Amino acid sequence: MTLDSIPIHVIESPPAEPGLSGNAPPLLHELAERVRRLLDSGETSAIDLGALPLTPSDLDWLRIGLGEGEIAVTLQANGESTLNETASPGVWWVTHRNEKGAVTSEFIEVAFVPELVKAHPQDVKIGLERLELLISDLS
Amino acid sequence: MKGPLIDTLVRQGVSRRTFMKYCATLASMMALPPSAGLAMAEAMASARRPSVIWLPFQECTGCTESITRSHSPTLEGMIFDLISLDYQETLMAAAGHQAEEARHNAMKENAGKYLLIVDGSIPLDLDGAYSCIGGRSNVDILKEAAEGCAAIVAMGSCASFGGIPKANPNPTGAVSVSDVIKDKPIVNIPGCPPIPVVMTGVLAHYLTFGSLPELDAKGRPKAFYGETIHDRCYRRPFYDQGKFAKTFDDEGARQGWCLFELGCKGPVTYNACATTKWNGGTSWPVESGHGCLGCSEPDFWDAGGFYKALSMPADPLKIAAAAAVAGAAVGVGLSFANRAKKGAAKAAHETTTLADLEK
Repeated sequence: MTLDSIPIHVIESPPAEPGLSGNAPPLLHELAERVRRLLDSGETSAIDLGALPLTPSDLDWLRIGLGEGEIAVTLQANGESTLNETASPGVWWVTHRNEKGAVTSEFIEVAFVPELVKAHPQDVKIGLERLELLISDLS
Repeated sequence: MKGPLIDTLVRQGVSRRTFMKYCATLASMMALPPSAGLAMAEAMASARRPSVIWLPFQECTGCTESITRSHSPTLEGMIFDLISLDYQETLMAAAGHQAEEARHNAMKENAGKYLLIVDGSIPLDLDGAYSCIGGRSNVDILKEAAEGCAAIVAMGSCASFGGIPKANPNPTGAVSVSDVIKDKPIVNIPGCPPIPVVMTGVLAHYLTFGSLPELDAKGRPKAFYGETIHDRCYRRPFYDQGKFAKTFDDEGARQGWCLFELGCKGPVTYNACATTKWNGGTSWPVESGHGCLGCSEPDFWDAGGFYKALSMPADPLKIAAAAAVAGAAVGVGLSFANRAKKGAAKAAHETTTLADLEK
């Protein structure tokens, strides 16, 4: 008797990618919901990737899936931070690094413009003072 | 320096975006929702620096070392700009009567508002004579400083639970802060030493929300002590697969298998080491190959041996049967056998087993 005579056959399933936990795909549904809310009411939100049980492979899977958009913002503040638009406008991949280049926190932000990119009115005021100083130096 | 915090930071060349980035990371570490980062930045930027008095009692200064050894200029270093540390014996320039005066002034000027940090346990035997500062006992100073404080942070396992000074037979009658003070909010930050970011996280929470974070049954902030080391350990999958290192130098140890059988106290220890790690995120005890000692739990020193597994999967039936027949003599015999084996292992450079470590 050979194995073939057993009437149950195993269907070859594609081998799962090593390191994938299966926790990343549901995030896409959540992101879609958040983008809908952004469109409907302008509500911005963020997902803290550090708070979720995602493996490095999961993060890569997400990053590749979301793709790259047109805008990539680099912020130099106590280490480099990158705020990159994904292929879906309104969805931003935000990575904060310390001065040694290690990732300190990572978010997916859903907003027209990430909060950190906007200038604070208080800082704009200080900027205006500087401009006025420049102008007064002209005369 | 008084005035809104952001002004102080700007004077030191810290931009608002740097601060917002810091708050976002801090909120993430404290397991707060991402929106809290922005709220924290807003609240903290306009907050005034609270006065902090740090009292060292029966301690080894390891807690202070931990806080100040955070890699500068980091998040942890930055937060020390956010408070006005008015009394800290190890760090302050003033000494003697000047130092004591600084403490009294801070207590008077900020009555009812200052935050009191305590590290070290408080000895009560011989009227507290085992540990005195400026001729006054620790318990006396603590009671005086606690009266006008808004809240107390018990830093480290000694202040939280009595720690190593309280270890059996507790020669000085050491007790924790919460054993002495009953009428103030107390947050325990145990660990030997505690993780720097846990300390700064609690301070940030206090600055932002004006209250202490949510605490567990042992008075520890849930954000950092909400899960066991075991539940967050990167070696956990090996535990689930039943793959254990049997000695510190066997194949399993080299493969990074679970250290449970080598006495790891991870399953019963609540702390954040597995996620925040140590020395700027470099590593932590289990990652460097040694089991967790359980240093953030009460009486960890007397918990029955660092190398003793929490529940031995050994062969209890055989030992029980042998003991019933031969009585106490077996114990002596076993001990001799183990000593002989230890000597032989040394001579032959053999692998030392868990049983050897326990004899």
